[in-house]
Amino acid sequence: MKRMIVALLVLCMSASMLAGCGGGGNNAAADTGENGSTNETDAESSGDSGSSSSAKKTFVFGDTTFNAENEEPTVNPHEVYAGWACMRYGVGETLFRINDNMELDPWLAESYELVDDLTWKITMKDNVCFSNGKTCDAAAVKACLDHLIEVHDRARGDLMIDTIDSDGQTLMIKTSVPAPSLLNYLSEPYGCIIDMDAGITDEGIVVGTGPYVPVELVTDDHLNLVKNENYWDGPVHIDEITVRTISDGDTLALALQSGEIDAAYGMAYASYPLFENDNYTFSGTQTSRSFYCQMNYTSPVIQDDAVRKAVAMGINKEGFVNTLLNGYGYVATGAFPDSVAFGGSTLTTETYDPEGAMKVLEDAGWVDSDGDGIREKNGQKLEIRWLSYPSRQELPLLAESAQATLKDIGIQLNLNVTADHNSIATDQSAWDIYVGANVNSGLGDPTNFFSTHCLDASTKNRGSYHNDELEKLSVQLNSSFDQDERNQIAIQMQQQLLDDNAFVFCSFLRMSMISKSNVTGLTAHPCDFYELTAELDIN
Amino acid sequence: MQKYIVKRLLQLIPILLAITFLSFAMMRIAGSDAVEQKMENTGAVVSQEVVDAAREELGLDKPFLTQYFVWLGNLLRGDMGTSYISNKRVFSTFVSKLPATLLLAVTSILLTVVISIPLGILAAVKQNRFTDYLIRIASFLGNSMPNFFVALLLMYLFAIRLNVFPVIAEGTGLKSVAMPSLTLAIAMSAKYLRQIRATILDELSKDYVAGARARGVKFSVIMRKSVLKASLVTIITLLTLSVGSLLGGTAIVESIFMWDGVGKMAVDAISMRDYPIIQAYVMWMAIIYVVVNLITDLSYRFLDPRIRLGGMEL
Amino acid sequence: MNETVTVRTQKIKSNHAKRRLCVFLVLTALLLLTALFSMQLAPYDPYAQNLEEAMQPPSVRHIMGTDQHGRDMFSRVLVGGRTSIFATLALVAVISVFGTCVGTLCGYYGGKLDSVIMRISDVCLAFPGLVFAMAVAALLGGGISNAVLALAVVSWPKYSRVARSQTLALKDGPFISAVRLAGSSSIQVVSRHILPNILGPILVTAMLDIGTMMMELAGLSFLGLGAVPPTAEWGNMMSTGRSMLQMYPWIVLSPGIGIFISVVLFNLLGDTVRDYLDPRNSRSR
Repeated sequence: MKRMIVALLVLCMSASMLAGCGGGGNNAAADTGENGSTNETDAESSGDSGSSSSAKKTFVFGDTTFNAENEEPTVNPHEVYAGWACMRYGVGETLFRINDNMELDPWLAESYELVDDLTWKITMKDNVCFSNGKTCDAAAVKACLDHLIEVHDRARGDLMIDTIDSDGQTLMIKTSVPAPSLLNYLSEPYGCIIDMDAGITDEGIVVGTGPYVPVELVTDDHLNLVKNENYWDGPVHIDEITVRTISDGDTLALALQSGEIDAAYGMAYASYPLFENDNYTFSGTQTSRSFYCQMNYTSPVIQDDAVRKAVAMGINKEGFVNTLLNGYGYVATGAFPDSVAFGGSTLTTETYDPEGAMKVLEDAGWVDSDGDGIREKNGQKLEIRWLSYPSRQELPLLAESAQATLKDIGIQLNLNVTADHNSIATDQSAWDIYVGANVNSGLGDPTNFFSTHCLDASTKNRGSYHNDELEKLSVQLNSSFDQDERNQIAIQMQQQLLDDNAFVFCSFLRMSMISKSNVTGLTAHPCDFYELTAELDIN
Repeated sequence: MQKYIVKRLLQLIPILLAITFLSFAMMRIAGSDAVEQKMENTGAVVSQEVVDAAREELGLDKPFLTQYFVWLGNLLRGDMGTSYISNKRVFSTFVSKLPATLLLAVTSILLTVVISIPLGILAAVKQNRFTDYLIRIASFLGNSMPNFFVALLLMYLFAIRLNVFPVIAEGTGLKSVAMPSLTLAIAMSAKYLRQIRATILDELSKDYVAGARARGVKFSVIMRKSVLKASLVTIITLLTLSVGSLLGGTAIVESIFMWDGVGKMAVDAISMRDYPIIQAYVMWMAIIYVVVNLITDLSYRFLDPRIRLGGMEL
Repeated sequence: MNETVTVRTQKIKSNHAKRRLCVFLVLTALLLLTALFSMQLAPYDPYAQNLEEAMQPPSVRHIMGTDQHGRDMFSRVLVGGRTSIFATLALVAVISVFGTCVGTLCGYYGGKLDSVIMRISDVCLAFPGLVFAMAVAALLGGGISNAVLALAVVSWPKYSRVARSQTLALKDGPFISAVRLAGSSSIQVVSRHILPNILGPILVTAMLDIGTMMMELAGLSFLGLGAVPPTAEWGNMMSTGRSMLQMYPWIVLSPGIGIFISVVLFNLLGDTVRDYLDPRNSRSR
């Protein structure tokens, strides 16, 4: 007996290793085994729903981004970036929404009218109500927006609202300066309309107009939602939803494989092949989240036009997207995706051309005279400090890839990929190229990217880039209300950035949600805001 | 004995002071003070007057030592400040997450005992035979796998292949605690198994064992009555030492299994530079560790007659 | 028991231990040499990327396959071994030398110095290793050298404890008293007579510590506080490759094999050294 127990224990200890070896030695077998088990869970769940149609439908969503680190600690849109969670999980809705062409459609609002450069008249739909049954009229919206601009610095700065007046279904918004992008900003997740009479609980739970009602929230752990019985815009299919915060990408993949979650957002690219089969559905779309390099104009090496040009020519964007991101991404030219009206289809920039890059450096006097593979000029080695961060899984991959391709043309890249990037970036003597990710036109509007990253007054113009022409164009952009003209200006501004090689836009994120194949209505949207909607269902 | 306990408790005071001082100093060395850090986190641009006012309010304009004693005073009242990220009270956040970590630690230690002691004894008894080699190879394997890797293998085996345990810990039920504690127990067992084996071997080689055998006492009786008893002190020491590595190890395992304890909290806090949370974590873990050590130290005195008698004379 | 027989069996045993010691010493030397000359031994440049050859399973060209950047895993494991093994060895060397010196001095001189240093080590011991290392690494930022430093701060007291207790046991023994009576100075006593005598236990502790330290460095890498990519380092390679376990197992198993071999080797060497230094302890029963 004792022997048996002991033998069992030894087995247990070595079992885990054997499992690893099994996976290694016989990949095909592992695959079929795993398919078998997922089939099983599928059968189980379909059996459940088939047995009685009145059975509760529950849905578990695993998400890597719903956490305090991402500044989404709750679903209260008036707190940091928590509006994203509020909107993504179907709690709150905004006055206007951004459609798949990145244009505005009315949502809670019925229509709008630009009375003069400073005054907007917005008419509300008359059938909208909060999940507690209260009608969402213009007065409720006013109360919500008043509170928003009182407590939320970023919203106050974006919206530039002077006064709001309400009368029945009509909302009059006066801005302090002409604000052509007001409606776009109102579509930002912080613009989710919540019932201020119901208030905001200590846990950060709010009452919105969306298809799901939050009932329990533990930051960094989970959010429980139930069906909104009073939903104004059609029937809701799922009775209960749990959103699980799963910070580790592997845990997320394993949880989807074991059937503990029905859908996942934020999976590691390397795990994608596990789900490229009939048991799972991918919903993906191009977003305007771009992975970009920002040059530090205070650094002597970077001030050399040839160096910036060579870097732009030395990054293998295609290889990065197709191999390292498993094809789940889009090669970028400009700051915005080709699909939008102000996007990059007519822009021109350097393409990956190692030979050409070497020639550019050669002509500028950078030659490898000591034979160590790295070029020098006036005794100075061509070394570039690359600052980036690891929390976006694409960035370390890009860093390593660029390091190898730039080394081929004789540039030594010293990587500093650290969570501490923000404070290092403020010290301009500590880096040469900053590489980050940014949603450049999440609101279907080009202004935001330029005003935050490229201008003299921009807070994220980390490398003190300056271009007179760009400043002029920016003034024009901010005062123009004509959409076509705005698009043209935005394109000119991008071309200016590319001609200077002040920015290198490497790729755009393909946002992907992976779900079990019995899940329907889970669709990725280009603006990255909408995830769980009333269409969501499990069959 | 009482005298000894009092003496040990008195010795604890300077150590606790040093721990709190170090925890305090370390986070101040981090460079930025609370006000600066908070500004950096929110990204807001504030005027110097606002900053100075906030500093004065928090007492950050006072000398370093004064700040330390103010902080210590607050600490004694259970006030460790607020998190930079969530703005919640650090102390209550910590206290609410501690039970989950303690549960994980206790189950892991129990599992370690259950795995490593029988296997260690068996390996010692069957020295240099097949069983011994098998156990030792298993221990080498366990010793050379980082625990995040063990966790992945276990998840793959038990959650996907066998489908018996969940990948994500849901609540603190038996099913949820199984995999994280097994992960921790495998690494610890692998480490202590060898030492337990060596301890038992050492004891078995002593003259009294040979004497007892010569007198015809059954081997199993010698094992039970003498060898095990004598080895107990060493084994307990080992387990106490394991508490230290365990407390650190939970951090990794908790964040993999989504176990909502203080370890995961600390890992999250480190990536966000949420210093008050890191500070609370480091300090409390140290205090818990010191207290556990003290308790084991005292418990020796009851277990080992030699030390107990020695202690009486004090 | 007949005395001559005992002596004889002991001699046989010590010969046996000697042989084992030689075998393991040679193997360890081989491992260290491989690590040292890994750059020359590696068939490919461990940092050279070739995206067209990414994620290839083990083959004749790449005996351990390639990773997602198309780098040769075998070359990376070899070069990664240099980082891992030497970082770990450096760590263990620093803490054992420092800890031993401090411990011996405390044990020998005793008094105020002893109690002050021992209290400091109490405090360092009070912080659970990885917890403190996490805090230090969080302050200093990532990087292998910071990880080593962080672990060193919390690990040295273990050695000073061992050294101190051994010194205390020796100090008042008849042998040291005799040496002292013969007129040796304190420094001579410590360096010629105490240190060589306590070296054994320290060496054994250090060897057995290597595996643990390698794991803790790997753990810090997992938390993003250890070696940073693209540095080839085993723990870091395992932690970045872990999501590929199911699809591309060679990427994570290859460095795993490296860790396994070195942990086993250092542990066996440690065991053998212990047996050799203390034959009574070894093959009895």
